[in-house]
Amino acid sequence: MSKLKSTILTQAHMDLKAKMAPFAGYNMPIQYTSVKDETIAVRNGVGVFDVSHMGEFFVEGEQVIDFIDYLLPNDYRNLAKGKAVYSPLLRENATIIDDLITYKLEDNKALICVNAANIQKDWDWISEQASKFNVKLTDHSNEISLLAVQGPKACETLETLGYKVSDMPTFGVQALEDGTIIARTGYTGEDGFEVFVPNAKVGELWKNLLDKNVTPCGLAARDVLRLEVCYPLYGHELNDELTPFDTGLKWTIKMNKDNFIGKKTLESYTPKFKLIKLALDKGIPREGYEVLNTSGEVLGKVTSGTMSVTLGQGVALALVDAQKATADENYLIRIRKNDYPAKYLKKPFVVGGNKK
Amino acid sequence: MSNTPAELKYTEEHEWAKLDGEVITVGITDFAQSSLGDIVFLELPEVGTSLDKNAAFGVVESIKSVSDLYSPLAGEVVEVNSDLVDSPESINEDAYSSWMIKLKLANTADYDGLLNADQYKSFCESN
Repeated sequence: MSKLKSTILTQAHMDLKAKMAPFAGYNMPIQYTSVKDETIAVRNGVGVFDVSHMGEFFVEGEQVIDFIDYLLPNDYRNLAKGKAVYSPLLRENATIIDDLITYKLEDNKALICVNAANIQKDWDWISEQASKFNVKLTDHSNEISLLAVQGPKACETLETLGYKVSDMPTFGVQALEDGTIIARTGYTGEDGFEVFVPNAKVGELWKNLLDKNVTPCGLAARDVLRLEVCYPLYGHELNDELTPFDTGLKWTIKMNKDNFIGKKTLESYTPKFKLIKLALDKGIPREGYEVLNTSGEVLGKVTSGTMSVTLGQGVALALVDAQKATADENYLIRIRKNDYPAKYLKKPFVVGGNKK
Repeated sequence: MSNTPAELKYTEEHEWAKLDGEVITVGITDFAQSSLGDIVFLELPEVGTSLDKNAAFGVVESIKSVSDLYSPLAGEVVEVNSDLVDSPESINEDAYSSWMIKLKLANTADYDGLLNADQYKSFCESN
């Protein structure tokens, strides 16, 4: 076991008496005061998450657009300058290496933000692909800190700190002169911003946000927030064995593009699994619990489950056998020895403020 | 620092117990509720259930975690706090008024073998 890494703010979290735990090799804040209060702060006000463990790669050069449009199944070529796009990263056999957000800073410069646990795996894959193009790939993960400022009051809070963000569109991105990159992105379903800031400046930004009464929020609240709006999380809904067609990411795959890694496989792919949303009146679903049809046949497993803070009921994402997924929309989840009815939902459990 | 009343006995699984005649009242400690965070679900046994010492008698869930509840001693469940099942969040407000079960002990002398408040405090500090 290698030594646990810290972010620049680890000591600041400990000073706030946050509960800390290892996450993707980093000593990260799980909660400061209460998962419930932190979740509510983001839904109704503004919270800040230290997500500096995430990885940042820059791609520069003449062929950046050609390269990334080939690397990713989503549409990068037609993305406007100053906008970002969410996409999985696929192998030739269409299995998912990671999911990531790519920011088109300039026609010849992009920022790719990747999951902390996958930095090395992504770097190996992307650099191998990049060698076939006239581009330069660099890893800045250890030099850049990342704060996610999320919630309906995120915009006005950043404005009071002097950031000109109110005119930015959703998924918009701008690079500031001091090296900070601000994007109107996040993983909570609320309006909000992700601020990529040089390590030397993150302490001041963190302090300024807390001085404006922004609620510090841990990874537990972040997980509840993303699950309530049904955003997938790598290692849970997404992994090295699944393709995007198995796990609800069809909307990110642009099959009409000329070419991208994984396209050939997906052209004739029959999904093995279906990712479904289940809500319970009673009981709290947890990862690994079995999902059954009403005749008691096991169809799959919960990939993420929690008590929804916003709804006050148990909610789950689950991967079930694509052939056996029931048509009648009624499922059961086995919680310890009992089977609890679970309702299949077509829409996310919570509609975040960024969709209202 | 969490609250550890001197008149109660404790276990290393973070339950408290209070003896009255040959029946103990059982709940989880202030340290336990604080570690769990927002408690949202509680599952308790039926009256009449026989429990061995350290047997799982129920489950307490916070938003992000699931924890078993362990019987401090051997005995039979004679009463269950069903009001608490309907409002498990009160455990966060006051762990010592939020009793879970009453257990008629197989052997009341076993009660003396539980941790006292000072022993439990030292145990929490060393873990």
